[in-house]
Amino acid sequence: MIELHWQAAWEALIHHPLFGVAITLAVFQLAYAAYEKTRWVFLQPVLVSMTLIVGILLLCGIDYDEYRISAQWLTLLLGPATVALAVPLYLNLRRIRELFGPIVITLLVAGVFATALGMALAWAFGADDMILMTLAPKSVTSPIAMLVAEQIGGVVALAAVFVMITGVLGAIFGPELLRRFGVQHPAARGIALGLTAHAVGTAQALQESDECGAFAALAMSLMGVMTAVLLPLVVALLL
Amino acid sequence: MLLRGLTWLVAFQLLGTVLNVLFLPMLPGPIIGMVLLFAGLLARGRASESLQLAASSLLRYLPLLLVPPAVGVMAYTEAILDDFWAIVGVLVISLLVSLVFTGWLMQTLIRRKQRQQEGA
Repeated sequence: MIELHWQAAWEALIHHPLFGVAITLAVFQLAYAAYEKTRWVFLQPVLVSMTLIVGILLLCGIDYDEYRISAQWLTLLLGPATVALAVPLYLNLRRIRELFGPIVITLLVAGVFATALGMALAWAFGADDMILMTLAPKSVTSPIAMLVAEQIGGVVALAAVFVMITGVLGAIFGPELLRRFGVQHPAARGIALGLTAHAVGTAQALQESDECGAFAALAMSLMGVMTAVLLPLVVALLL
Repeated sequence: MLLRGLTWLVAFQLLGTVLNVLFLPMLPGPIIGMVLLFAGLLARGRASESLQLAASSLLRYLPLLLVPPAVGVMAYTEAILDDFWAIVGVLVISLLVSLVFTGWLMQTLIRRKQRQQEGA
């Protein structure tokens, strides 16, 4: 009689370098199909996928580091995808030029407001300096946020988490909230989503329309550059 | 040709990384790459079909690419649970208020500009 090595086969399966990629691809398609079918805001695909994958990893006893290394195959593409944002930006250049003044003013006023409000609230809730400095760059895309958090004395890994939570919240509540407050202009919706909810907001804006996505990409990148350059300077001057 | 466009995107990201190490440690490589590609497109005056195809294909799957970093939350559950309500309060309130404020401000400025142009 042939003895089957179930345990060994199971271990080989869940520890295969492609296992993380496989569950990410499968779960994301499932989450995306569910969202397309129901259009229910809480089924935001990134959030649902994240929850399901965390569940699977816990059940299989795989820690985050092992998953992260396996999923690198996907994460590596984030770099070229960020570079790719230059294309919708360029294709919508005419629209952006027309609205140059409003974009610059909104970016400066709302960008400073978003950062200051987050820090003021954290201070009011009694968070310590370390959490304060970790929360400061939460509106910008994670690579910049992590760099900035490190420079001003926050926790790098936790900064990435705050960035993700902010982005997912923005993608879930943003479109409906903007509609409630009468913000219908695609440029205004795009700027709001990109400036406050970075890449996840931009991904959501791209679903609305190309124009909305282009403005979100613009706001995300300019907010990122502004935060990276100005926030460490401001913190250095104030403390 | 999807591959040709993809090659350019990767090349600009790598160029960004080189410049990041050499001159601009505060800006991540991909952001520098994006700025350079944008400048390149401006200088050239058009975006080739292959580049548009590669960019739109990648951007369609941007939410998928963001899933693995999002799973990183699981590594910090304890730290988050310790200050759960403070963190949620800060993140939710500041996001919702600044999102609406940003959208409102931008729309108001756009409308004012349109009125000025109509009046002129």
